[in-house]
Amino acid sequence: MGEPKAEVLQGTLDLIVLKTLDALGPQHGYGIAVRIQQVSENLLKLNQGTLYPALLRLEQRGWISSKWGTSENNRRAKFYSLTKRGKKQLAAEAESWERMSSLISRLLAGAES
Amino acid sequence: MNSMRSVLGRLAGSFRKSPADTELDEELRAHLEALTEENIRRGMEPEEAGYAARREFGGVEQAKELYREQRGLPFLETLLQDARFGARLLAKNPGFTCVAALTLALGIGANTAIFSVVQGMLLQPPPFPRPEQLVMVWEDVHLPNYQNDQNTPAPGNFMDWRARNSAFNGMAAIGYRSWNLSGDGEPLRVEGEAFSSDIFSVLQIYPILGRAFTATDDGPGAARVAILGYGLWRSRFAADPGVIGRTILLDEEAYSVIGVMPAGFHFPDPDDQLYVPLRLTGEQAANHGSHYLRVVARLKGNLTPGQAQSDLAVIAREVAAQHPDTNTGVGVRVIGLREQRTGSMRRPLLVLSGVAGLLLLMVCANLANLLLARGSSREHEIAVRTALGASRWRVTRQLLAESTLLSLLGGAVALAGAVWGISALRSMVPAGQDLSAVVLNWTVGIFNFGLALLAGTVFGLVPAMQSSRGRPLDALKDGVRGSSPGRSARVRRILVVAEMALGVVVLTGSALLLRSFLRLQEIPLGFEPQSVLTLRVILRGPQYADLPRRAAFYREVIQQMQGIPGVRAAAGISFLPLTLQGRTAGLTIEGQAPPAPGQLPFADFRSVSPGYFGTMGIPLLQGRDFSWSDAAGAPLAAVVSETMARAFWPGGDAIGKHFKMGGPGDDAPWITVVGIAGNVRQLHLVGEPRPAIYFCAAQDAGNGDTLRDWVVRVSGNPADAASTVRSVIWRIDRNLPVSRVQTMEQVRSAYLGPQRFNVLLTGLFAIIALVLGAVGLYGVAAFSVEQRRREIGVRMTLGASRADVLRLVVAQGAKLALVGLLTDFVAAAMLTRTIAVLLYGIGPHDPLTFLSVGVLLFVVAILATYLPARRAMRVDPAAALRYE
Repeated sequence: MGEPKAEVLQGTLDLIVLKTLDALGPQHGYGIAVRIQQVSENLLKLNQGTLYPALLRLEQRGWISSKWGTSENNRRAKFYSLTKRGKKQLAAEAESWERMSSLISRLLAGAES
Repeated sequence: MNSMRSVLGRLAGSFRKSPADTELDEELRAHLEALTEENIRRGMEPEEAGYAARREFGGVEQAKELYREQRGLPFLETLLQDARFGARLLAKNPGFTCVAALTLALGIGANTAIFSVVQGMLLQPPPFPRPEQLVMVWEDVHLPNYQNDQNTPAPGNFMDWRARNSAFNGMAAIGYRSWNLSGDGEPLRVEGEAFSSDIFSVLQIYPILGRAFTATDDGPGAARVAILGYGLWRSRFAADPGVIGRTILLDEEAYSVIGVMPAGFHFPDPDDQLYVPLRLTGEQAANHGSHYLRVVARLKGNLTPGQAQSDLAVIAREVAAQHPDTNTGVGVRVIGLREQRTGSMRRPLLVLSGVAGLLLLMVCANLANLLLARGSSREHEIAVRTALGASRWRVTRQLLAESTLLSLLGGAVALAGAVWGISALRSMVPAGQDLSAVVLNWTVGIFNFGLALLAGTVFGLVPAMQSSRGRPLDALKDGVRGSSPGRSARVRRILVVAEMALGVVVLTGSALLLRSFLRLQEIPLGFEPQSVLTLRVILRGPQYADLPRRAAFYREVIQQMQGIPGVRAAAGISFLPLTLQGRTAGLTIEGQAPPAPGQLPFADFRSVSPGYFGTMGIPLLQGRDFSWSDAAGAPLAAVVSETMARAFWPGGDAIGKHFKMGGPGDDAPWITVVGIAGNVRQLHLVGEPRPAIYFCAAQDAGNGDTLRDWVVRVSGNPADAASTVRSVIWRIDRNLPVSRVQTMEQVRSAYLGPQRFNVLLTGLFAIIALVLGAVGLYGVAAFSVEQRRREIGVRMTLGASRADVLRLVVAQGAKLALVGLLTDFVAAAMLTRTIAVLLYGIGPHDPLTFLSVGVLLFVVAILATYLPARRAMRVDPAAALRYE
């Protein structure tokens, strides 16, 4: 990851949002929040307000793009979708998470024996 | 930090609803509505559903703030934030801030003041249309006895150049005039010029009232007309438009006023107030041997002065062939008008600008050093900030904001000081320069703050880059209190050496100029200037038209003045020494072979009253002084200078010998040498004194010279006698203006004006440089001692005495100083060559000067390190060891 320690928490949220958009396709903020709740089976107590600054940050970095459209109940909503760069970033981050978690698993396994 | 940001953010948001904010509001509302609907579907009451939705959402306002933070505050606000933080920091250390701001003010202010003079004098074009086309034309004379490359042209030469040239669109001649203006009001001495009528088309400036001179006005028999200068029109005639057609009395002759020149017009001298036509007679126009005019011309199209000079040189050669007696060795020199006016000041001003720039660099080095030293002690704070997420650029920017704030503060103080500095400079600039444009204007102000910003960036960048490179983790650990990181210390040492180099250059240059000036002052003048009052009274008008009446006046005046109590002697002369005025002419020595054409010997000549030599303290080496019996009818007598006697009558006795003014064929009376006087510096302090002749004012040796300047030797303070002397003159003739009342010492000071200007200013800069250098060294040494407290404590515990510690610190300082000085002298040696031209009697690499400066700086360096070293001595070892 290589990011300074202070931004670790934000990085995790970014990954989750990217993954969600990858799975759902274009979605608005509420939809993303609902999906995260569903998938994590309510274990991840997400402060839904923090979603919006995160979405802005992702957009500033060029990993997602936004467009105003109409939601399923005929309301105006801003839809976010993954960009090509975002897809690449997602793949890269997922890979480093994999490596990190397998390393930790190995360490924990080693400590026990 | 976060809360401050969000507060600012909220403030920003509250008076700037950007489209992004409105969009966010809509998004959030939609989100909340969706949540509420979901809750209603689950069975909640609408109101409760709303509250629950909000709780689930988790804080709408925080979400908005976080969003805005992410979006980033506008650049201006971050800037303001940095500035506010920096200001707080500066306020917390008032001592440092004051010292820093003051040293900055010194450096910047010096530059601003000099720049105002440079821009007012060097950068301003002369106030004429297309000024780059205007030139002055001089004779370039190369004779064995006389060289002058800016010789005032003779009318005959002017006429020939004007008629035959192909390089100019117009050429006009100017003759110096001065008059006693009388009639309505107090008699006034007025300086002015006589213009040939084409001057107006050459300069392209015309009167704002009335009309210009025409060719008719310039003819020999025309009615007398005059044009007023703007200043005279306002002061004497109350700017009355009805002045046109009025009659004024100049030297008791009636002139009709026909025009008024525009404000600000003074050509060619700043003192000119009145203009009349030149009115060359036929005889004058053919005269190639009397040199007294000034010539101004306008170049054609895009010709350069050099090209014009080549064109005229050809003509000059033709004229020399036609008039070999007067024009052999007489060439032409063409100088651009702007260069003519500013030439003498250009080099000194540039040198001063360079010195002021060096001074500012020293200030920057000083401050960079201080900030670097402080930076290491702020590592802790910076580390915390970096850990909390501040990027390196952010930290750098914050430190730069601090240094910029400091430099702007210094700049503001500098501007205030520059106001005073500019007026001081104006009073110091040698007389005769046009200073009207040397003021504090927008250009100068912009220069001032631009320089301040530049300085702030320069000296803030180094420490900012150093600090932001720090390793946060190390600095966060306790106990490691910024012990000199190697790289930072080396940078500081380089800065100190650089600063000392600059200081050496400034000091050496200034010392050289000072010694040169002292040498100039020591040159024997040939007379005693102390206790002598001088004044100018010029006789004009019909009652003084002939010599006997003038002589009677002279005698009366001297008698009356000598009757004043306290007056030891009084006399008169045509032109005071050291006033850059005088007359020169060729002469023929009786009994010597006629010289080759154009090779007449030259001598300066003046008229004096009897007793002049005694009054001025000029020794009479042989023969006798004049007496009142050397009057009209008596044999023509002259007193010659030592140089002249030796030059023209070598190995023999000059007394009793004869000479005459003019060439061998001229019908001029023979004059007898009756006395030899000591040499007097009349025009130039530097160089061999030229041959000089003194005539008796009561006799007319054919040169029509009158006495203008009066010298009175008193036994007290000469300035005190001024009013009494004036009233004596007025008792004899009510209508004579008395001007230029000053002591002989003042005349001499004015003569040395340019050199004094250089010396004063560079001396001032040198002192500032010395102080800056000392402060810089002190700061570095003090900080170094502070840093090494633990080390000192350890040493003392291990047995080092306090004296050992002192010696250690001082020795290190001395080593640094020595290394610095040795390398710096190389730089100084190279740079002082540029001021070699300004030096008199001393070379630019004078070893004594260099050595003295070196010793002085070394002593100062030792002192600067000694004081903090003394503090080091007082370190309590136990406390130092404990201090973590």
